[in-house]
Amino acid sequence: MSETSGIRYYDVRQVSGQSTHIDIDNDVVESAGTSFFDKAVIRVLGPKGWGILQIDNYTPCSGKKFEDLLFSAQKLAQITQDPVTIGDAPCAVLPVPRVKEDCRDVSLEEKSALLLEIEKEAARPHVTNRRANYIERLETVCFRNSSGTEYSYEMCRSGFSVMAVAAREGNVQMGYERDHSILGFNLRHRGEYGRKAADLAVALLDARPAKGGKMQAVLDPELAGVLAHEAVGHASEGDLIEEGNSVLKGKTGEKIGDEHLTIVDDPALHEFGFDPVDAEGVAVKRTEIISKGRVNAFLLNRQTLAAVGNGIAGHARAMPGEPPLVRMSNTFIEAGDATGDEIFAECKNGIYLVGSRGGQVDPGRGVFQFNAEYGYLIENGERTRMVRDVSLSGEILVTLHGITLCGKNRVMHPGYCGKGGQSVPVSDGAPLVLLRDAVVGGSGVD
Amino acid sequence: MRWWVAVEWIEDLIRKGLQQVDEVEIYFVEGRSVSADLKQRRVSLCSSAVDAGLCIRTIDKGKIGSSSTNDPKKWQACLDAAIAGGHLATAQVWNGLPDPVKLPGTDFSYDPALDVEPETARALLQEMLTGADAHPATITSGGAEVSAGTVTLANSHGVSCTYRQSDVSLSLEAISGQSTGSEFDQAYSGNLVNPEKVGEQATFFATHSVGGKDIPTGDYDIILSPIAYSDLLSAIFIPALSGRNVQQGRSKLAGKIGEQIATDDFSLYDDPHLPGANGSTWFDAEGTPTRRLDFIKNGVLMGFAYDLKTAYRSGQASTGSALRGGFSGLPAIGPHNIVVDGKRENIMDEPAIYVRSVVGAHTANPMSGDFSVELSNPFFVKDGELAEPVKSAMLTGNFFDLHREIAGLGTVSRAVGSYILPPVRINKQRIIGK
Repeated sequence: MSETSGIRYYDVRQVSGQSTHIDIDNDVVESAGTSFFDKAVIRVLGPKGWGILQIDNYTPCSGKKFEDLLFSAQKLAQITQDPVTIGDAPCAVLPVPRVKEDCRDVSLEEKSALLLEIEKEAARPHVTNRRANYIERLETVCFRNSSGTEYSYEMCRSGFSVMAVAAREGNVQMGYERDHSILGFNLRHRGEYGRKAADLAVALLDARPAKGGKMQAVLDPELAGVLAHEAVGHASEGDLIEEGNSVLKGKTGEKIGDEHLTIVDDPALHEFGFDPVDAEGVAVKRTEIISKGRVNAFLLNRQTLAAVGNGIAGHARAMPGEPPLVRMSNTFIEAGDATGDEIFAECKNGIYLVGSRGGQVDPGRGVFQFNAEYGYLIENGERTRMVRDVSLSGEILVTLHGITLCGKNRVMHPGYCGKGGQSVPVSDGAPLVLLRDAVVGGSGVD
Repeated sequence: MRWWVAVEWIEDLIRKGLQQVDEVEIYFVEGRSVSADLKQRRVSLCSSAVDAGLCIRTIDKGKIGSSSTNDPKKWQACLDAAIAGGHLATAQVWNGLPDPVKLPGTDFSYDPALDVEPETARALLQEMLTGADAHPATITSGGAEVSAGTVTLANSHGVSCTYRQSDVSLSLEAISGQSTGSEFDQAYSGNLVNPEKVGEQATFFATHSVGGKDIPTGDYDIILSPIAYSDLLSAIFIPALSGRNVQQGRSKLAGKIGEQIATDDFSLYDDPHLPGANGSTWFDAEGTPTRRLDFIKNGVLMGFAYDLKTAYRSGQASTGSALRGGFSGLPAIGPHNIVVDGKRENIMDEPAIYVRSVVGAHTANPMSGDFSVELSNPFFVKDGELAEPVKSAMLTGNFFDLHREIAGLGTVSRAVGSYILPPVRINKQRIIGK
């Protein structure tokens, strides 16, 4: 291996499979079908940094042919200057959970008929548009590296979303519901999702815009989960810590939140962000990012394990054909011991916020924004008038002190998270929480 | 762009497909890219990709099927999957794929001199770092990517065209204490990007946003930079101009053609033939020739964008507005180059809050237009300059209504992706302080 002697490490990760989609728009099956992909990434660690080859339709090979590929990757690494080292982390592969019903055993015709049933449930007065989508992705992942680690597994993720749009006198509102799963086909008996989307869209026609300002807020599990993801998850990603682009850098052991607050990322949990093993062959493990209000551990891959330390490797994830990045998986606020009544009573006057259209964070500045689908004013501990279009913004190092009560039941919500041009499946969750001094954005006036 | 004889397998594919369906369309891309990433000031990785992608659409008695693969050798399986998917689709009004049209034989966005090599990416990174030295902020990360490839569109009516395209993308992020700044640039040629300026702007904003002051909640005159404006425009306004969303009851602008929806001096249009612009093309993703499309002219809503499918269903003509987000996606309605224009003036002469970018534009309500976003790199404007930074605040309002309150368009436009926009001044907007 004279040409490739400068190589300190390599790995090959190939993902092949197929995706199936159905798109129904106002009862019309707009499109339905299956597409195919087969993508591989070969990474080589040269004397300094990484050389990475992204290859379509890779045929596993050995000997001279494989050495040529390593040499090509090594040539790319020649322009790198950063002295990258990778830490040692244990390798293990968890079993992929058994599915209740295999998506492959259900015909496209039946899937389409079931999706149409869900969409039809959203029909009612004032609803001008109904749309439902089904997506299913079957992947086979094969990995091997220069240390002799080798594994392969097969996994299927599937799910649907349904949207209803309601309109009245120029006022246009929408309701959106979704469910995605790693536990098998999930389109049966889901008509309630269509009804909920329509109920929400119609109810929002009578909701008023929220009035902005600083106030007490109660967040439902979905929205509080997005807070955990945006306010803490991204800022704890090892690559951002290493680059110096996170306010959590150097804060290990510091108290940045209320002592009742524990925030976790756990790729081993059987939720939508589950991975049996990470994209570098490292065993996945529960990571307590915030423990009783203190910064406890960062999310790491092998490179940031060596460069940053204080954290847990096993958080490298990648889209098919893309190099792995440090990513969240299933991120949540741990349940506490407060009842819902206690939380609303403690809030007394403020706002109850429900659902989310997503969020965004600037981790270096430590500022985040996220959005609720709707909410209710809380007056004297009681939910009253419905409000719409409510955003929250906050500062990572300030806001977490305001989460002073956590409910007993944690609920997870599936979704996708974007970073570096890659989108990966995740879930976020939390119990009901009380957030003091929330900065609420809304266009309403008294 | 060239008119080539289709490669053999494409002709085979179309012939095979026509044995089972009325029409066949193929969209095939091939390309090569090299990218390099900075970790702080050092190159930490370099990657290279060679990829291909094939998307097949079949149409049979108004039923549209589709499938894609990144292995063109497996086109037979892809064709079978497209036809199978088509059986499930609901039959719709369909008057056929486009016929061939003679178009100018030039590539719009291709620089044959662009070297898709690691050295090109490395040199671009170095130039960004040189520019970044103008201000004392620290670089956290950055990237440079160069790519080149071909796009082939062919259909069973005899359309068969291939064009070449290239791309250079740059980005840099910087930090000073807890104040961040970033900048990016994109063009089809290395001669059209300005890496030094990308570096200079990233460290400028990180450096000068230090020590921002809180502001009280209230109504303020604001200036949205082209970046902030394009984020909100693409999340809220552009989807409402899609004929599909109009047809399906998902657009607040439905039924408003001919109405004044923006201030008199405001115009918004799609110009697919703009030299040097990132989205320029002679034909759209379905082979329909492109043309200028006026959405808003002097404040009045003029029309919506259509692809073939939506046009046939609405009794309209396609406006040549089909786009694809990569080979695996089906054609969908979107703009090629969005241009905002109107009377230009000095909008910095009166005090205002300048908003460089926003956090969370994608969480806006695209149906109603209501939004509330966190500001990034906001500044007080005094004497025509960016003066003291504002620490943090939220901007909230309705993005449709805001267009009736535009107080002026700045003199200099910039490209943000395929949007070419001036800074926009809007008076009396609600800002939520901390």
